[in-house]
Amino acid sequence: MSTLHTRRLDPFRIEIVRTPPMRTTGLVYANQAIERTLGDENVLHQVANVAALPGIIGPSMAMPDIHWGYGFPIGGVAAFSVEDGIISPGGVGYDINCGICCILTGMRLADVRGRLDKLLTALYNHVPAGVGSSNPKLAATGREFRKVLEKGAGWAVKKGYVPPSDLEAHEDEGCIEGADPDAVSGKAVERGQPQLGTLGSGNHFLELDVVDLVSDRTTAEGFGLFEDQVVVQVHTGSRGLGHQICDDHVHAMVAAAARHGISLPDRQLACAPVRSAEGREYFGAMACAANFAFANRELIVFLIRSAFEQVFGGSFERLGMRLLFDCCHNIAKLERVVWEGAVIQACVHRKGATRALPPGDARLPGRFRETGQPVLVPGDMGRVSYILSGEPGAAETFFSACHGAGRLLSRHEAKKRARGRQILEELRRKDIRAMAASRATLAEEIPEAYKDVSDVVDTVTGAGIAKAVARLRPVAMVKG
Amino acid sequence: MPYTLIDHTADIGMRVSGATLEALFRDAALGLCDILGAGTTRAALSVPVRSRGIDRDDLLVRWLQDILFLVEVRGFRVTAVEVAGVAETEADGMLRGEFSAAPLTAEVKAVTYHGLTIERIDNGFAATIILDT
Repeated sequence: MSTLHTRRLDPFRIEIVRTPPMRTTGLVYANQAIERTLGDENVLHQVANVAALPGIIGPSMAMPDIHWGYGFPIGGVAAFSVEDGIISPGGVGYDINCGICCILTGMRLADVRGRLDKLLTALYNHVPAGVGSSNPKLAATGREFRKVLEKGAGWAVKKGYVPPSDLEAHEDEGCIEGADPDAVSGKAVERGQPQLGTLGSGNHFLELDVVDLVSDRTTAEGFGLFEDQVVVQVHTGSRGLGHQICDDHVHAMVAAAARHGISLPDRQLACAPVRSAEGREYFGAMACAANFAFANRELIVFLIRSAFEQVFGGSFERLGMRLLFDCCHNIAKLERVVWEGAVIQACVHRKGATRALPPGDARLPGRFRETGQPVLVPGDMGRVSYILSGEPGAAETFFSACHGAGRLLSRHEAKKRARGRQILEELRRKDIRAMAASRATLAEEIPEAYKDVSDVVDTVTGAGIAKAVARLRPVAMVKG
Repeated sequence: MPYTLIDHTADIGMRVSGATLEALFRDAALGLCDILGAGTTRAALSVPVRSRGIDRDDLLVRWLQDILFLVEVRGFRVTAVEVAGVAETEADGMLRGEFSAAPLTAEVKAVTYHGLTIERIDNGFAATIILDT
């Protein structure tokens, strides 16, 4: 592996200098603290490998929560021309449209504290979590399942699980156009169908937070946020459906890349031209998984609202439970981007990155036109999370921002460091309650397994990509 | 177990070796099942696994991915793996065990091509495989 040449451009940006076979530069968003987390060159080589793929527009970018992935780095953002560029299943990842949503409540911490244990138990009982979890009560089969794949969050609205107003609080109103259920294999359907309405395991979670700091009062008011408010974050994706769709199409594209004369430094970068039969088929299947994930998160929102209603009485509307926003982390989308003055139709890959639109952007629903898009940035389970809003400076990242804290330790290393420790008790001492389907998950997710999300946020705000609106402190959580 | 875990920031890797390709494929399968928590002591049933790949690297990924599907989706729990033959693009074998609703202890989203190696060593073959977990 050749040595990469890097140079710091400013306090928030590091360039990977273009050297063959790179077609463009690499651009890593990192302040000094984040730079120290980059470790060896593995992750930078992954940024450079993406820069070598055909049709890339602008630099191969990485957000400050970057960490070593497989093929593309996690935290990677790359746009490819629809005319002569590629689409890559590995550039989206196995958990297609893994994403996050945030539900606001009208309650303050004092309103909840007396019933916190009861609420946590109700949430744990309402939302299936853990390895291989399924949800027979919310099952959709046959033609109904096709509608989930085609309509996404709109399906959950039509079935009456959630109100129509939820759709305005979604990226693309909770549906990626172009979904083609015929491009989804029988194996993918068999693997994913029973898992609709489930949280899953690993880094997926449901978390009760309290707003502990408002840093931009006007935008916070626009979002409906206030200090001491209780909110709920949900992080999950397309479950086994997305895992299988990605595997099916990575496999197909390993062969397709060779047929299209694309050289791959790592097979996990397998790709095909956006407009090729293989590229179009993957996009149609990926959109199905993305729509499944939108519907999945909406069903979990429905279950969370039901748990609150059971514990506090009255309707979720009376409890002030409104969806703030739902956004994708792992996705490829057809977007018009501007690069060097030209408007280009591109396939923008975000693998562990969030779209971040600024105020005034026509793609935003009315309620966010003045504020910009909420950018939800969850931290680890023992520290804080942030709510940001997109800024005009995000134009340089094709309107993309960070998606979380970013892993620092491998799961194996995290488990070693957690050995002999009482993680639940450690959290309890920080006034954080947790329930988990598996002790192993808790061990893998210990706070020190992640970067400090405040360093990540300092970088994206310093770079002008987004601004901080509010900080959240965890109170209780369900882990898979 | 016939594998060692290796570190990868996002995922889990395993290093496997075997005197023959058949032994390598068997131990890789057993390693995957161990990581998943898919073991059982009963050998009530045999399920054939026939995998095809475009070359040997691809074949190892397909072989493990086929076993992952049988375990995660169909609920097969494994007590033994027998590999009848491994050619350049085909592998034939058998899982022994039982169908069970017993939960797995880990989720493996996929067997990746990232960092995949199969190499000749002095006394056989060795492979490195990264799993997305």
